Amino acid sequence: MSAHVRSLTLKQRFSEKKCKIATSAELDGSTISRFSLQLFSFLSVSLKVKVSLLVLLHPPLLILKKQPMANEKTGPPNFPGRPAASPFAAAPPTMTPFLSAGPVVGSEASGYGASSPARFNGPSISSPPPSYVPYDVGSYQRFPTPAIPPSQPIPPSRGPPPSQPGLSPSIFPAGQQILAPSPPVSFRPQPQIPSVPMGPPPQNVPLTPSRGNVPHSSLESLFPASRPTLQPSLHGYPNVQANPTSQVPSAQSPFFAQPGGYVPPPPVAAPIGLNPREQMQHFSAVPPVGPVQGLVEEFQSLSVGSVPGAIEPGFDSKALPRPLDGDIEPKSFVEMYPLNCHPRYLRLTTSGMPNSQSLFSRWHLPLGAVVHPLAEAPDGEEVPVVNFGPMGIIRCRRCRTYVNPYVTFSDGGKKWRCNICALLNDVPGEYFAHLDANGRRTDLDQRPELSRGSVELVAPTEYMVRPPMPPLYFFLIDVSVSSVRSGMLEVVAKTIKCCLDELPGFPRTQIGFLTYDSTIHFYNMKSSLMQPQMMVVSDLEDIFVPLPDDLLVNLSESRNVVDAFLDSLPSMFQDNVNMESAFGPALKAAFMVMNQLGGKLLIFQSTLPSLGIGRLRLRGDDHRVYGTDKENALRIAEDPFYKQMAADLTKYQIGVNIYAFSDKYTDLASLGTLAKYTGGQVYYYPCFQSTIHGDRLRYELARDLTRETAWEAVLRIRCGKGVRFTNYHGHFMLRSTDLLALPAVDCDKAFAAQLSLEETLLTTQIVYFQVALLYTSSSGERRIRVHTAAAPVVSDLGEMYRRADTGAIVSLLTRLGIERTLTHKLEDARHMVQLRIVKALREYRNLHAVQHRVGGRMIYPESLKFLPLYGLALWKSTPLRGGHADAQLDERCAAGFTMMTLPVSGLLKFLYPSLIRIDEYLEKGSTKVDDFKNSSKVLPLSTESLDPGGLYIYDDGFRFIIWFGRMLPSAISFNLFGVELSGFPDLSKVILCERDNEMSRKVMGILKRLRESNPSFYQVPQVVRQAEQSRERMLLVEDQSGGSSGYVDWILQIHRQVQQSA
Amino acid sequence: MFGAFFVWLLSFFMEIALVCLIVYQLISLADLEFDYINPYDSAKRINSVVLPEFATQAFLSFFFLFTGHWFMFLLSVPYVCYNVRIYTQKQHFVDITEIFNMLNWEKKIRIVKLAYVIILFCLTLFWMIYSALED
Repeated sequence: MSAHVRSLTLKQRFSEKKCKIATSAELDGSTISRFSLQLFSFLSVSLKVKVSLLVLLHPPLLILKKQPMANEKTGPPNFPGRPAASPFAAAPPTMTPFLSAGPVVGSEASGYGASSPARFNGPSISSPPPSYVPYDVGSYQRFPTPAIPPSQPIPPSRGPPPSQPGLSPSIFPAGQQILAPSPPVSFRPQPQIPSVPMGPPPQNVPLTPSRGNVPHSSLESLFPASRPTLQPSLHGYPNVQANPTSQVPSAQSPFFAQPGGYVPPPPVAAPIGLNPREQMQHFSAVPPVGPVQGLVEEFQSLSVGSVPGAIEPGFDSKALPRPLDGDIEPKSFVEMYPLNCHPRYLRLTTSGMPNSQSLFSRWHLPLGAVVHPLAEAPDGEEVPVVNFGPMGIIRCRRCRTYVNPYVTFSDGGKKWRCNICALLNDVPGEYFAHLDANGRRTDLDQRPELSRGSVELVAPTEYMVRPPMPPLYFFLIDVSVSSVRSGMLEVVAKTIKCCLDELPGFPRTQIGFLTYDSTIHFYNMKSSLMQPQMMVVSDLEDIFVPLPDDLLVNLSESRNVVDAFLDSLPSMFQDNVNMESAFGPALKAAFMVMNQLGGKLLIFQSTLPSLGIGRLRLRGDDHRVYGTDKENALRIAEDPFYKQMAADLTKYQIGVNIYAFSDKYTDLASLGTLAKYTGGQVYYYPCFQSTIHGDRLRYELARDLTRETAWEAVLRIRCGKGVRFTNYHGHFMLRSTDLLALPAVDCDKAFAAQLSLEETLLTTQIVYFQVALLYTSSSGERRIRVHTAAAPVVSDLGEMYRRADTGAIVSLLTRLGIERTLTHKLEDARHMVQLRIVKALREYRNLHAVQHRVGGRMIYPESLKFLPLYGLALWKSTPLRGGHADAQLDERCAAGFTMMTLPVSGLLKFLYPSLIRIDEYLEKGSTKVDDFKNSSKVLPLSTESLDPGGLYIYDDGFRFIIWFGRMLPSAISFNLFGVELSGFPDLSKVILCERDNEMSRKVMGILKRLRESNPSFYQVPQVVRQAEQSRERMLLVEDQSGGSSGYVDWILQIHRQVQQSA
Repeated sequence: MFGAFFVWLLSFFMEIALVCLIVYQLISLADLEFDYINPYDSAKRINSVVLPEFATQAFLSFFFLFTGHWFMFLLSVPYVCYNVRIYTQKQHFVDITEIFNMLNWEKKIRIVKLAYVIILFCLTLFWMIYSALED
């Protein structure tokens, strides 16, 4: 009963209040939701705060714990920065015999390029060490020069003169006293040891026993006098070390709370230990680089420690460092570990891995690697192909690492120890070889996989889920009115026809075409036909493929039909007036045709997709969106269709390359998504006109079709215990946490990955990395390309800075910045880049400020001297710069997509293009291009470099800008163009082509020469006359332009920020 | 009395259903993380239960409202609002292409949701037993 009553009252109450509540709920719906949103954001914020608090609390704890360890390690005196010694020792024996004898292993497995026996000989070895000794010293050397032979174990030049200026004025006399009289100067580095617990000696343990212990004995014998010299400075050491602690101003950063553990070598130790080398570098680096000279010399006379640069406010802008030599691959890394793969395949942002979380947290730059697995090698340095035959590929049982030069053999050659997980594996019977007295395999010289950092393994059937696919090219071509009018259709058809003979993988290559405007046109290319049959599908809602086979045909069988089709394609649509574009349905149709095999899908799109699924609208014109939270939405795919489609395409091994031609907005942000997740590339030709851009399209399409492509590939980077790759950046799709799926990848794609430390403390001395790309070659063979590299673990932040690689850092920063623009405002992305640079420099300053009284000077490590400038260039690069008006949205997105795939050298060139003056060469008599090469000098990118009476070429790897000064003799322009330039109304219409005179031929020769140095893209020459184009200023990275600062201001700005909380 | 017990029982089952759906999503994500399934299957599985989860949750919440359990309704309102928000922003489905980058965030969301539902669940259990005992 009572229950009944209650339910009744409940009902009553309910009915009474129902209406009221319902309405109020409706009314307040928005407020409630807003409230709850706030609640949620608050929750998430507080979570974050907690997390960051934890993070903040942790490092000191770790450091406190770590300290005793570090001290323990300092016990045995060893050579700072000498981890190189032992691997080096191991190296020469393996390399030298290899040099002399060069039989090709598995050369029958050719098919990928020309695998000539010459492959292993002579120059092919990246850095063949002639003997052991040089390397011991050479590993320090970043800029070896003929002036100071690096191979001398005790170079006299290392002595007093160069090192003196490096000392601070205050301790200068003392330093002189110490340095000048003592004969064994070269052993000075030793006193530094106690403060730099690099822990090299344990390194000897794993490697030396197996490979012979040459290094130990030679080290001992080479440095007999070292012990005595070590003593006095060790005595002085404690006193000095007390200084930093007492000197620490209260305003210093919290990092100085732990001077003992991480603070770098104290004043006395540091200059002596580091400077001799550093100075040597400077001296050797000075002659070729003019402007830097002043800087270095000035600094050497002023500075202390390993600090090579100092800038006072109001300094001379000429003294600033500029990367006029372009990208310099880090040599020290390869020299230290000659068994490593060449840096063109793998570059680490710093080759000194931090040994603890706390050290890692002080490295504010990205820690990671830039991988370029299929980089084109110069002739003679091709990656050797190895065929293990029936025994299968030798891999570690546990971590699946491929056998590489760093594995060690033991137990008389019956076992091998994996260098990554340290597991002892059995050597298969067929692979067995005896070990010699040094523990080396006797057949080492016949086994490239044991002596080379990069090899290509032929994979047996276990590595295939299906028979290797044939190379397959499918063309999806927009034939609407704008494609026809711009001439794109004709150029594309002709180029494809020219390339048919050169498509890789003959005779298995398959090909197919599909065109679309408001309807979709399929082409039956059956080999028995004379002419292709066209089938039109106009039902866009329910796409179907009208013919099960014959839309995708074998090229060699249907060659005649394909030729006939390509001949008639331009004329077929020449009267087309259709403006619509059913891109989405056409893409689905192409997907249905291709998904049996996979392959490469080339999309030529010249309008905004307007019909059917995946249609896009005009967005991006609205400047009001900029600066709001919705800004980033413009730069990501609008319709989820594109992401879904990209995922499906990758699943079926289809890689997409987008060619976009439009004078209007095409929403590349959406279209590019297809390329982004399928390992593809975006080519953008704004306002395409076949007369102007035809050459570029022809070249780039031909390269796309004929360059060596790896099909149905997966990429994995393995690394030693304790570190892990966590984030990947580039064009690919992640198939599992560490496996990148790449349906079609080629030699122009690079990938970046970031590392994180899994353990608070790394116990190993060396971290190994192994990049493995499993793919199907165009010849139909399954291959695994393996690149192996080793990097030492360091416990000192200064060492990390010394081993930093600006190119790799800039590459990763660029990718992070661009990814940031997809989720945040442009401004945030720029600030992120700036902040990371500032933090890194601040940390570096803290490292040195205390002992060296750097005062108001800006200090930065030698290895990162170009970092601020590249940061500025990145700040001004198309994807990140300004706001709405500074770059068109499509241009921004296209540049972003391109930069995400660029290899390091290409990216650096794009960020800091080369500027060369050519008029002097043109007026001179000599006709040889070689003379130009010798006489030309790359100039800083500022207005001061531009002389009104000069003619310059600005080359950023994507275009040439021919800059004409106002005072340039008109004869030159007349010779080049056949007309007076001043009479030309629109310079963008000027076409530079070869004319019948000396000067024109010379210019064309130069351009050709420049193009050869960068074969990935075709650079269209654009003519610009001084002060005639408003965007001219944007090209000059070092100049101040519309809201962004010039180089000098930028440095000052960074310097101020570095000091603010330093 | 019997009605009240029945109401609690029904919401009890709905909460069990919710817990199951969320745990299922979490398992799919964990499987993905440990490489037992590929992102395509994982995303498909998760996305197939997202809408049922949202519907069940919304229904439960309004069920509380209609049966007059204010406190429980107010407790479950933020959850509904969050769901509505991400649904209107079309972010309710996991994105296959970015699933690995979002993995930790997606897991965190679901763990919070799970905790939330379990709190509701305990309260419901309490009320159910309470109403049964009172009878």
